Amino acid sequence: MMFVTGPAFSGKRTWVRETMGWDAEELAHRAVWDVQELAIDADDLAILADELACRDVVIACELGAGVVPMDADQRAQREAAGRLACLLAERADCVVRICCGLSQVLKGSIS
Amino acid sequence: MLSLIVGGAASGKSAYAEALVRSIEGRRVYVATMEPWDEECRERIARHRAQRAGHGFVTIERYRDLGGLKVPADANVLIDCLGNLIANELYPLDAPSPDATDVAKSVVEGVRTLCASCTHLTLVANEVCAAGTAYEGDTLAYLRAIGHINCAIAAEADFVCEVVAGLPNVLKGKPPTSNA
Repeated sequence: MMFVTGPAFSGKRTWVRETMGWDAEELAHRAVWDVQELAIDADDLAILADELACRDVVIACELGAGVVPMDADQRAQREAAGRLACLLAERADCVVRICCGLSQVLKGSIS
Repeated sequence: MLSLIVGGAASGKSAYAEALVRSIEGRRVYVATMEPWDEECRERIARHRAQRAGHGFVTIERYRDLGGLKVPADANVLIDCLGNLIANELYPLDAPSPDATDVAKSVVEGVRTLCASCTHLTLVANEVCAAGTAYEGDTLAYLRAIGHINCAIAAEADFVCEVVAGLPNVLKGKPPTSNA
């Protein structure tokens, strides 16, 4: 599994499509994105990470770089999202961070 | 030549970009994008002007429409920062907000036009999308426009660099040199 992360609107899905040579349909079939939104409702983040890791590509938005939110739900969401990202990176053969549509490999290599 | 320097608030991206521009030959032109609407803006502008003093920059104020900006052909242009310009385009004081997708297109087109009319263009962009998307509609449209513009410019740029704690994390190409 390849884990792709980066800021919102940084071109993550476009990069995956272009790198893998997938069309929109294949992307929907083989990848899953915005998984940070699944984190908040998960009873067990490790189980969620295991389930997600069955896909070829898992894409998540970085949420944690701002000020700690005043709102408790938002705080909990970004905590869960950050922890999920770590669990996905552990399970991934390859971790890529996208910034301005450009990739940097943080773990493994793009095959 | 086109360089894009991105980074979070107070990451040292402006100082890095200024040093980069000073290392390249050509007439140094600083394009100031902040509209001086209040005392805080005026103080910030004065502080930035003082920082650049003695570094041989000519300052041009340009709050929107980069494509219409006239610079000498040997100009080595620094724009700091793109986020300001995008906000000025998206939220005009005396008119309704234009469509964010149109703004994104016209800003990228403006960058292309300006880049073609000078020897080197260095753009500084603020990383504002790494703290989630729990914002209201207007702010989300602004973030989306910034994201699209950053990706489009990075795709065309010769050099793209993220600045972290004042240090360059090169994402694409090599820093331009005077010989380039």
